[in-house]
Amino acid sequence: MNDPAWIDAALRRWETPLVLYATKVCGDAERARDAVQETFLELCAADRAAVEPRLAAWLFSVCRNKALDMRRKDSKMNTGDEVLTERSGQEPDPSVALLEEEQQVRVLTLVERLPAKQQEVLRLKFQGGLSYKEIAAVTGDSVGNVGFLLHVALRALRERLSVKGEVA
Amino acid sequence: MKAHDKKFDPDDPRLTAFALGELEGDERADVERLIASDPRAATFVDEMRTTAGVVEREFAAEVVSASGPIGSSHTIPLSHRTVSARRRRRVLQAAGLTAVLAGAGFLLQRTVVDLNKTATSALDTPVRSRDDFTASAPKSAQVDGRPASNAVVPAAASIPVAATPPEWKREAIDNNAPVEESELVVNEGAQAAGTAIGVGVSGSPHPYSSRMMAGRGAAAPRVAQPSAGVVYDNGEVRATEGMAFERAADKVSNTEGYNAIVENAFKLAAQDPLSTFSIDVDTASYANVRRFLNDGALPPVDAVRVEELINYFRYAYPAPQGDAPFSTTATVASCPWAPAHKLVQVGLRARDIDMTKRLPSNLVFLLDVSGSMNDPDKLPLLKRSMRLLVNELDGRDKIAIVVYAGASGLALPSTSCNSKAVIEHAIEALQSQGSTNGAAGIQLAYDIAAKNRISEGQNRVILCTDGDFNVGVTDQGSLVKLIEEKRQSGVFLSVLGFGKGNTKDSTMEMLADKGNGNYAYIDTINEARKVLVSEMGGTLFTVAKDVKIQVEFNPTRVQAWRLIGYENRQLAHQDFNDDKKDAGDIGAGHNVTAFYEVVPVGVKADVPSVDPLKYQQPTAKTSAAYTDELLTLKLRYKAPEGDTSQLISTPVADSGVSWSEAPSDFRFAASVAAFGMVMRKSANVGSFGLQNVVDLAVPEVGDDVAGYRREFVALVRKAQAIEGKPKVR
Repeated sequence: MNDPAWIDAALRRWETPLVLYATKVCGDAERARDAVQETFLELCAADRAAVEPRLAAWLFSVCRNKALDMRRKDSKMNTGDEVLTERSGQEPDPSVALLEEEQQVRVLTLVERLPAKQQEVLRLKFQGGLSYKEIAAVTGDSVGNVGFLLHVALRALRERLSVKGEVA
Repeated sequence: MKAHDKKFDPDDPRLTAFALGELEGDERADVERLIASDPRAATFVDEMRTTAGVVEREFAAEVVSASGPIGSSHTIPLSHRTVSARRRRRVLQAAGLTAVLAGAGFLLQRTVVDLNKTATSALDTPVRSRDDFTASAPKSAQVDGRPASNAVVPAAASIPVAATPPEWKREAIDNNAPVEESELVVNEGAQAAGTAIGVGVSGSPHPYSSRMMAGRGAAAPRVAQPSAGVVYDNGEVRATEGMAFERAADKVSNTEGYNAIVENAFKLAAQDPLSTFSIDVDTASYANVRRFLNDGALPPVDAVRVEELINYFRYAYPAPQGDAPFSTTATVASCPWAPAHKLVQVGLRARDIDMTKRLPSNLVFLLDVSGSMNDPDKLPLLKRSMRLLVNELDGRDKIAIVVYAGASGLALPSTSCNSKAVIEHAIEALQSQGSTNGAAGIQLAYDIAAKNRISEGQNRVILCTDGDFNVGVTDQGSLVKLIEEKRQSGVFLSVLGFGKGNTKDSTMEMLADKGNGNYAYIDTINEARKVLVSEMGGTLFTVAKDVKIQVEFNPTRVQAWRLIGYENRQLAHQDFNDDKKDAGDIGAGHNVTAFYEVVPVGVKADVPSVDPLKYQQPTAKTSAAYTDELLTLKLRYKAPEGDTSQLISTPVADSGVSWSEAPSDFRFAASVAAFGMVMRKSANVGSFGLQNVVDLAVPEVGDDVAGYRREFVALVRKAQAIEGKPKVR
């Protein structure tokens, strides 16, 4: 049983990013929370010395497996890709200068339109703060592939976010 | 892009990896070279970094939706929710964790929150997507008569910013444990629970801070309404900073102000044996000249300060010995543009600071966010520059941000650089607007610097502006007085200039000068990196102050002499020994170089002389005059906190070194001096032209790891192209 203060700190720091990430993996916020909860339970019993240096990567890795399990167990659930792609949201009228809140919706909407794999590495990178290497360890891809996915995803976002002609 | 292929390829994932700081070693060096050589690559990397920043920010602001997946079009049935919650509690109890988690008030407590919500708002409105939130968040500064008393987040005194969060969000806040600390609240834990957190400062408390004040995850106040004229929402800034980086070369107007520089003339050593000046570590003129040339125009002659061009580069002077704050070097060789003359190079190299042992910093950025700062090469560049600096600082350091425009305000209270996320948010939320009123801003900045003073450290206000430093009702004189006063209290001032078309160069240099600081002009992110990161020691850490140089020429060896540059740094000779007279400061890692052009005795010199005196004879020469000493170099300096100066005195002899025997750094520095004089259309450089400068500089580029010297050669060639008629002697 690990030090409650340490678990608490990990919870404080990582619970929200993990829930958001797991939601994308299993397609359901409730199951995502369960997955995150189990992840933290596992953390309570984990070998702290081994986990601590790579805490984020460990959490995302375990959480991903739990979330995938949840998805498999629930036959009613959509596949991850469908879940990730069905929420396209509404396109803001590009002729109107975007208000800030609209822009936030828009950025996330654009993210959600990317292929699931790209979304996943984006979240691991920018919500989880993981390095390329850590992401590769979580998703099982090569480091090169992670780099490629992030490059393609960011490039697409850069082009789609380009405000030329839309905002004065 | 293959390893040695220097071509820019937007399909190369390494560019993204570089932008995200993931590259190391050779790959990183490859991309750095590419960026230095190809502006498209530089822009691309910047844009990718910006995009990454936008994504990171939006992710950070994302909250766990109260019901169902984020932005979901379907909801989970209540029954499932309840069961799940019960199961969760059982799991916790089974694991014996109840106490831990209940104490922390997290998972378990939120389960309760979830159930509450299910019973109230979530049931009424099953779909609580982000769109709902947006629509239901009114843009007003009121709090809807419902103060979230246990989540007190005081906003900055002059920036009351609040927004009404949607129903569920407020409940979430009400149901979470408050996170409060007296001075500085940077508790990431609150993020996880979706609580609005913030940084507490004195002033009227507000239930919700602007997002900028809050940490990540505090997404509730997405809509911020200014009431003091300082807007902290991001839409517009993102628009300008984001992707549209077109350089508006046509925007260059004629309001740039440069004081006329009258070049130092030759003086006869027999009549004027003394030269006294203050050192100057500024380098802004180089960046300014570069900006003009890159925009396809020759710089106005008065924008060219030769000493600032020379001092832009690093030269391999020996490191200072022992506790000395700097080393001094003097080199004599023949002069390339007048081979019968000698060039004397005086070089100072300040101590480097071991960054792990450096002093802590208390920095207060004073940012001009007036409307004129809206250009991509101003505020957006400034924000990127600040991020570079923040990355270099750590828990020993504190940063605060004060903005001034129509009103001045505190955008970030003094915050430990451990809390990078908080600082980044504050930087991100900066936005330009309004007109400039610096008076209140600078007062506030100094107040914060004083309040957070680190006695064993550097305390500095860093003024960032495009030059419209409008001091409101007070005049320039009282501003200078204020800066001088604060300097005595140990708070120094540095000035970073941004943008073009409005650069009041002389004002900014003068302000920095009065505040014991330096002035740098930031025109590109590379310049920001050089000034703020590579030379961070130099920009921020003074190792000696009031450094004065006095040279006495030996009239038996020297017929006439001329100091190259430093025209606005001349001191009266008697001021050299007067410790009350202010002079330039030298920071860690700084190089200072000055050149004298010397006409030896016996060489024909066209220097105007005066008639012999009627009532007295020239004084007799001392025995030292009959040695081979050319001159004596004297330096005075004070320790950063000291009031009494120390003197260093070194005789310098001419060992008859020819140009080709001179050290490489000497020759490169001389080529830069020549370039400056050509750009100033100086008569002293004769028929020496840009092609001659290229010929001098190219062999001395050397290793040039950072690429500055290569850039110099490229700039000279650009000037040649603009001139259209390369001059050859």
